[in-house]
Amino acid sequence: MASTLVLGAGKLALGDMLFILISFILLMLAVKHYAWGPITKMMDDRSAKITGDLDYADQERASADKLKKEREEALKNSRAEAIEIVNKAKQNGDDQKKTIVDQAHSDAEDVRIKAKSDAEKAKQDAMSEAQNDIANLSLEIASKVISKELNADDQKSLIDSYIKELTVNNGTK
Amino acid sequence: MDEKYKFIDFLGLRFNVANCISALVAALLVFILVYALSRKITMRPGKAQNVLEWMIDFTNGIVKSAFPGDTGRRFNLYAFVLFLFIFVSNQLGLMFEIKVGGFTYLKSATSNPYVTMAFALTSLLLAHFYSVKKFGLGNYLKNFSRPVALLTPVNLLEEFTNFLTLSLRLYGNIFAGEVLLALIGSVAKSFGLISFVVALPFEMIWQGFSVFIGAIQAYVFTTLSMVYISRKMTKE
Repeated sequence: MASTLVLGAGKLALGDMLFILISFILLMLAVKHYAWGPITKMMDDRSAKITGDLDYADQERASADKLKKEREEALKNSRAEAIEIVNKAKQNGDDQKKTIVDQAHSDAEDVRIKAKSDAEKAKQDAMSEAQNDIANLSLEIASKVISKELNADDQKSLIDSYIKELTVNNGTK
Repeated sequence: MDEKYKFIDFLGLRFNVANCISALVAALLVFILVYALSRKITMRPGKAQNVLEWMIDFTNGIVKSAFPGDTGRRFNLYAFVLFLFIFVSNQLGLMFEIKVGGFTYLKSATSNPYVTMAFALTSLLLAHFYSVKKFGLGNYLKNFSRPVALLTPVNLLEEFTNFLTLSLRLYGNIFAGEVLLALIGSVAKSFGLISFVVALPFEMIWQGFSVFIGAIQAYVFTTLSMVYISRKMTKE
């Protein structure tokens, strides 16, 4: 070993250096072609992808926040709207109820008034008819009395016939 | 302790067969490891991909701590491969030491100064290259006389000490670790069973410590390489 270290002791093994250099360069080229190139490219791609994904995630979060805010706003609005609708419906119902009850009241009043007037009229009619009948009857009786000089028998038969007629009339009536 | 190596002379250059084989094996192991871990690359990482990404993040962290801002990105791959190669080389000699006919053929490539010097040279040449590329040749040369002209010799000397400390620190640590492993191993064989039983825990402890040292030295080498490159690219 020592002899190779001392310069001038035989030839310098410069060939070794050359060989090492060439083998190292070849190794470097092979590594670059088969491993270094693909893997550094992949590592760069990955870091780019991670950066992109982080940016994308930030964007998505911002838009989600915005959406959430909008939804909350809409929810609040819709609640107010629903309350309004319910109130309106209640109001409408009350109104309708009132009108129906009023209507019913007025109808009932009408019916009562009509019934009353009908009854009055019927009474009036009955009265006037009875008056007519009585008038006719008395007229008839008077005419019969006047037209005939009456003896007792005649009078009796007259009264009988009259009564008979009356009962017949009553029966038919 | 005196190991023998086979040398091949080719085109006027001398090749140490053990170094070449060790470096080749380490390179193959690194490639197989990384290749196996990077088979199914998906957006959601599996276990293997997680391990690989963890290693990449680790070396990227080394680069990031040395360079201001994002300027060190182009050195990520260099730091990654450098770290893995040195780490695997460091551990290789702890597990295997193949000798055939008295000659060593497989060991830690980084336990040889030429290998570590090759790595240190690579790092420092990168540093100077990027310094010239960034400042231009004139400003690059002027940087040697900053902050004051008086310090120019010190700055020049620093370049050599940087080179030597960077390479020899790694070499020294790994070489010493292997020497001690071999030493304890020879103690174990010296007196039969008794010395074997005595030496076994020491060997285990030292082996564990060497794994630790190998990891630390790989980290230190990578970190210092990045610091040197970064310093050359900033005006003092």
